[in-house]
Amino acid sequence: MEDQDKARTSENQLEEENVVTFLDSMDAYLTLIDSLSSTLRQGWLELASARHSMGASRISSSLFDLKLHSAATSLRVTEDDGKYVMNQPHFTLCKWASSDDGKCCSGEAKFDGDELQKKSVSPQLRYRGTSQFDEPQEIQEKSPTSNGSPLSLDSPVQKQRHKSLSVFGTLVSPKLRAAQFSFETALETIVEIANIRSSMLSAFDQVQKDIESISTGEQ
Amino acid sequence: MAGRAQIPTKSSALIAMIADEDTITGFLLAGVGNVDLRRKTNYLIVDSKTTVKQIEDAFKEFTTKEDIAIILISQYVANMIRFLVDSYNKPVPAILEIPSKDHPYDPAHDSVLSRVKYLFSAESVASGRR
Repeated sequence: MEDQDKARTSENQLEEENVVTFLDSMDAYLTLIDSLSSTLRQGWLELASARHSMGASRISSSLFDLKLHSAATSLRVTEDDGKYVMNQPHFTLCKWASSDDGKCCSGEAKFDGDELQKKSVSPQLRYRGTSQFDEPQEIQEKSPTSNGSPLSLDSPVQKQRHKSLSVFGTLVSPKLRAAQFSFETALETIVEIANIRSSMLSAFDQVQKDIESISTGEQ
Repeated sequence: MAGRAQIPTKSSALIAMIADEDTITGFLLAGVGNVDLRRKTNYLIVDSKTTVKQIEDAFKEFTTKEDIAIILISQYVANMIRFLVDSYNKPVPAILEIPSKDHPYDPAHDSVLSRVKYLFSAESVASGRR
């Protein structure tokens, strides 16, 4: 009798744990969606600013590259041995992986992204315009930054970034670069959302099974 | 677990997009754009002239392609093909509904949250106690 009580108690604890895990993952999902909304809003605003300074015809879908090319940013999908369910997919973002480099380099690219962000908001970038009342001028690729070192195109990541921007011209607004960074950040959030979604659905399946076993046990 | 399909490991899978021009532009800047040998892209730009049939066809195409792991779809576009989105239940590609400039995200319409929300309804709690 005592053993039966113990087994029932541990079952109840497991069921409660499943419910808490499901609720936690749902909360994380909603929080990430909120964060994605903010990041996307920032990106759209920066894109609109870039369009304002460069002209609407210079940032348009008619300029999209329709020649054969593979995505510089892709995903790695693996099978995750989830807590409840085998065959739970796990997504990993591979940012700016060159065609020569088959490895995911999101860690390295993330670091490069942070560096670029610091450089693009530097107050000491040189402007081409003579009057301070001019529209914000386009900035050359290798402007000096606050720490004196120029933006380098040497790294493959920077080359890939530059290639993406060059669809809209050789000289682009700093707002377009900022938009690029915002959408890169949005991609990272999206991959997190995909993974948390996967966990949430598997936790939900488990909770459903628990409910069914309770209702069949009570009948 | 027996009989459940294995999720194949993909080392270089794509992100497909069905969204407005600005959202697609932004993500193309981030490097997700892909054009294959048949000049097919991994995105569909939805504007006022895009028909529901075109959106449905793009959704069906992206969900059947093996090299796509995530499909981003603006929620207002997903609402146009809600039946199709809600009836999709494979783990890969994952369908993620995202907000757009003119249509903020509404959790009430999200297909994943719709699937799980019945757990929070009074009816489901009452039926479990009968």
